[in-house]
Amino acid sequence: MRPQLVQRTLLSLVLGLLFLSTAATGKCSGKYHELLQQLQSQADLMQDTSTLLDPYIHFQGLDQAGLKEHCKESPGAFPSEDTLRGLSQRGFLRTLNATLGHVLHRLTALQQDLTIAQDQGRNIRGFRSNIHCMSQLLRGSSEVETAEPTQPGPEATLPPTPSSDTFQHKLQGCRFLRGYHRFMHSAGQVFKEWADSRSRSRSRRHRPPRALQRGARRMRPFRRDERLMPRGQLPQ
Amino acid sequence: MLFQIQISRMKTSNVIWVGNYSTVVKRDPVLHWSWKSELPLECATHFVRMRSRVDDAKIPEPRFWSNWSSWKEADAQKSLGRDPLFLFPKDKLVEEGSNVTICYMSRNQQDNISCYLEGQQIHGEQLDSNVSAFKLNKVSFIRKTGTNIFCKVDQKDVIKGIVLFVSKVLEEPKDFSCETQDFKTLTCTWDPGTDTSLPKRSSQSYTLFESFSGKKILCEHKNSCNWQVDSDSQEMYNFTLVAENALGNRSVSVLFSLTHRVHPKTPYNLFLKNVSGTKATVTWKVHPIGNYSTLLCQLDLLGEGNVIQQHNVSIKENGEYLLSELEPDTEYMARVRCADANHFWKWSGSISQKFITAEAAPSEALDVWRNVKSVSGRPTVTLFWKPLSKLHANGKILSYNVTVENLDRPSGLEVHSVPATANGTELTLDQDSYQIHVTALNSAGPSPASVIVVSGDPGNEEVEEERVNGTEDGFSVSWKPQSGKAIGYVVEWCDHPQDLPCDLQWKNLSSNTTSTVISSGAFRPGVRYNFRIYEISTERMAYLLEKKAGYLKELAPSDNPQVVVSNLTSHSFTLSWKDYSTDSQLGFIQGYYVYLRSKAEKECHPGFKKATLPDKSACCQHRIDNPEQKTFVMENLQPESVYEFLVTPYTSAGSGPLDAFTKVTTPDEYYLVEKGPYTHTHHPPHDRLRFAHHDHLLPKKSVENPHLTIMNVSDCVPDAIEVIHKPEGSKIQFLGASKSLTETEFTKPAYLYLLPAEKNYSGPGPCICFENLTYNEAAADSGSCGHFPVTPEALPGQPGPLTSPENLLKALEKNYMNSLGETAAGEASLNYVSQLASQMSGDKDSLPANPPEPVLCSEYKMQMAIPLGLASPPPAENSGLSSTTPLDQSEHYR
Repeated sequence: MRPQLVQRTLLSLVLGLLFLSTAATGKCSGKYHELLQQLQSQADLMQDTSTLLDPYIHFQGLDQAGLKEHCKESPGAFPSEDTLRGLSQRGFLRTLNATLGHVLHRLTALQQDLTIAQDQGRNIRGFRSNIHCMSQLLRGSSEVETAEPTQPGPEATLPPTPSSDTFQHKLQGCRFLRGYHRFMHSAGQVFKEWADSRSRSRSRRHRPPRALQRGARRMRPFRRDERLMPRGQLPQ
Repeated sequence: MLFQIQISRMKTSNVIWVGNYSTVVKRDPVLHWSWKSELPLECATHFVRMRSRVDDAKIPEPRFWSNWSSWKEADAQKSLGRDPLFLFPKDKLVEEGSNVTICYMSRNQQDNISCYLEGQQIHGEQLDSNVSAFKLNKVSFIRKTGTNIFCKVDQKDVIKGIVLFVSKVLEEPKDFSCETQDFKTLTCTWDPGTDTSLPKRSSQSYTLFESFSGKKILCEHKNSCNWQVDSDSQEMYNFTLVAENALGNRSVSVLFSLTHRVHPKTPYNLFLKNVSGTKATVTWKVHPIGNYSTLLCQLDLLGEGNVIQQHNVSIKENGEYLLSELEPDTEYMARVRCADANHFWKWSGSISQKFITAEAAPSEALDVWRNVKSVSGRPTVTLFWKPLSKLHANGKILSYNVTVENLDRPSGLEVHSVPATANGTELTLDQDSYQIHVTALNSAGPSPASVIVVSGDPGNEEVEEERVNGTEDGFSVSWKPQSGKAIGYVVEWCDHPQDLPCDLQWKNLSSNTTSTVISSGAFRPGVRYNFRIYEISTERMAYLLEKKAGYLKELAPSDNPQVVVSNLTSHSFTLSWKDYSTDSQLGFIQGYYVYLRSKAEKECHPGFKKATLPDKSACCQHRIDNPEQKTFVMENLQPESVYEFLVTPYTSAGSGPLDAFTKVTTPDEYYLVEKGPYTHTHHPPHDRLRFAHHDHLLPKKSVENPHLTIMNVSDCVPDAIEVIHKPEGSKIQFLGASKSLTETEFTKPAYLYLLPAEKNYSGPGPCICFENLTYNEAAADSGSCGHFPVTPEALPGQPGPLTSPENLLKALEKNYMNSLGETAAGEASLNYVSQLASQMSGDKDSLPANPPEPVLCSEYKMQMAIPLGLASPPPAENSGLSSTTPLDQSEHYR
């Protein structure tokens, strides 16, 4: 338990510092690469199940044979990785922001059970602040605003309030957090693609990223059926 | 009316409960009665019916039951949905230790269902084809988020579960009591015990009810509650504290008089004033309690954490007390607490203050001792004193004053100031008697003087030393009074006699004492401690009475003496270890063991007995019982034999190490030619010439005794000559265990042929080789120093031909003597040239047929420092080589 606690504390510290670099100063970084790197790092840390899911499972007593396997992400609860890849940069950011808004709402309910949910809530707010900055950066570029609907978030697919059945509520919370971590993993992959695309573009043409000049759909470096190898496998 | 109620489960005929319910029936016809089922009602249909009869004593018997009502069905299953599996009860809250029945209901009878409690499968009782029940006895608290129980349909992804919230048992509040500090507020406190709260459940609450006033308040805290005292009118209070949670309540009561529950506030403003060396005044204040209350205050004086004085003071508001009998320059702490003087309930909190008393002059004279010695003919007195204890110093010692007064020649006093860091001083006096006063000074003044009288005459130092035995407790020292006028005695010793300074210690004893035990943490086994007992005269002069020496525990010697071998002959040699000190050993030396072994001799010599060494080898042992006998003559030895000896001392604890034997090879028998009386020694009184009796010595006349004969030089014609010269004082030193050149076989000697040993020898003329005997044999052999002919030019100053043996001998003798005359002892670069028995094969015939021819016949070999490990092995014992070579490493050749 102690190493886990230390790990969580460190994680909170790192995320807090990342958050401080933007939101706390009240000023967005104008450097695309720097901001992208921060978003990537934050997404990497937030996909880690030891920050929320693992303590939740232990706290609720769900770490038992026969129960663990029922803690699966509910289909459709969070946008899939493919869906996220299919979005334009700004559409992706909007979806990310909206989904995390729902997560924050749900975490507020979980805070009664899990004190660390409070820390994670703070981290999500920092992450959203960086999303806001990235959106502003992209808006300032020549990217053409395209009318693209926000992808449905968890609010649309999950019951908005927990069930009165505590057992079901526990399982739902578990599935929700599983989906959240998977979603952050997918978001991290998309950010990685952004970074890869930029470095490739730089090495080819020594020019600013196309994303800042044209629509994100055009600059997308991968085909829809072209899957990236995930950096870390999210536990199922 | 009395109602009899029947409850059936599953079917009406299965009555599971019968009970009565009595109530007064009023006009309102609707009555309420409830029953709790152990089995969740959702799992089985229940039926209920009742009948009634009058239950009034006014109505006479017989009273008849009414008919049973029709069965009423309670079927919760109907309200359930179409899920394949249900588990009940949901989210039930129970107290730890309760029994709980849970059940599941399956829609499909074909489904195989398994259920688990915290991951462990549980087995229940099947109530009908699709309902099973599980009875959990004495459930335990597992976690605040509840105990998880779930059932799964095998082969299907269906899971249903419930959470059983198990609460800790609500405890009765403990240590419930109320008190006031100001007669305005009563503070009630208690120990709530285990927290029974669960998430999302109301936690336990506490209510305080006072029966006399009928007032009731809900407490804000779990362990305390404040009750406002309205007026002075209520003296008695009867409180009931009720602890309550969702599952029940527990209560506790207390009845008391308000004036008996006064807990004063902590005193304040504690000060120390007028602090002297032995007294101090303490003042403090208290918060007043009511108009007439008196407080009893307890004043503690603490020193080094311990209460050393305690005083009780009754006060209203201001306290004051004079502390006395304090020690000067001492840190104390004054501590005050108070309680109601009329009805003691509790002490208030404490307030404390540290303070240090003022210094006072040291209260005791120093413990002074002296050591008198003569330096350059003048008596020098070293004074020692022990620092005053904190108890007697009464402050920080700033310095010591030493006042010297000449008793024989009245003159002015000599005053010396010694820094406080010193614990002694040295005075140079003359042969007169002096009275010395020593005082210690602190800021308040000097200590009483310590007086000692010394005289230039050390007195009788020739006192025979006696032995004293050490024990675990130390040394028990006793003495005999001498003058009968002693005012006391002093026993003196050194804690570290082997060190400089030796850490002189002394012990003062009263005049009626004749024994004491000297103990010290510094005493160690194997160290000799010397004790001197002095008598202190009425003039305060110390006279040596007795001397004692002893060991706390004697040990076996750790080293053996350095033994010198001398007087080596073919049949004997002398061992001596005169430098060995018996006084500084690990125990009293009682004597020595001399060990001798030789491969040539199987039997031990007279005076020796057979002994076995630690390595199981045999040898001969001779015991010397006198520790002062430090020489021993080994006799009856065989010529040309290798002997090994070892001398080791012994104490009561054992003997020294038996590991380093020294080899000595007895020489062949010689006919010796001497200038003076015959002696065969390694530190001869005179230089001499020595001739081997065979091979290289050609006697002019027949010799009757072929082994040992004293001959005149003129009687012999030498064919080889050994010139022996050893500076005075040189000896063979065999250094115990050290494996040096001294331990090796004697170096193969150089020798030279002055004349052909045989008439038909046709080699070149004689040659002299000067060889460094520390020189490695192998190196020597490979060098150019051989038995080369000596040309007449090689012996300058020799007028005559050297072909004549007599001439040659004379020439050599003269030349040798000349060289001695010209060279200071110990500085001679020429050591000796020895004539020896034939080396190599011992036969002159084996001389090199074609010796190399150096350009110069006479040759000085360079001294070579040879690492021991690189030195060539000594010759074999049976090589026939012998030597009288003194091996002194201090000798060097150029």
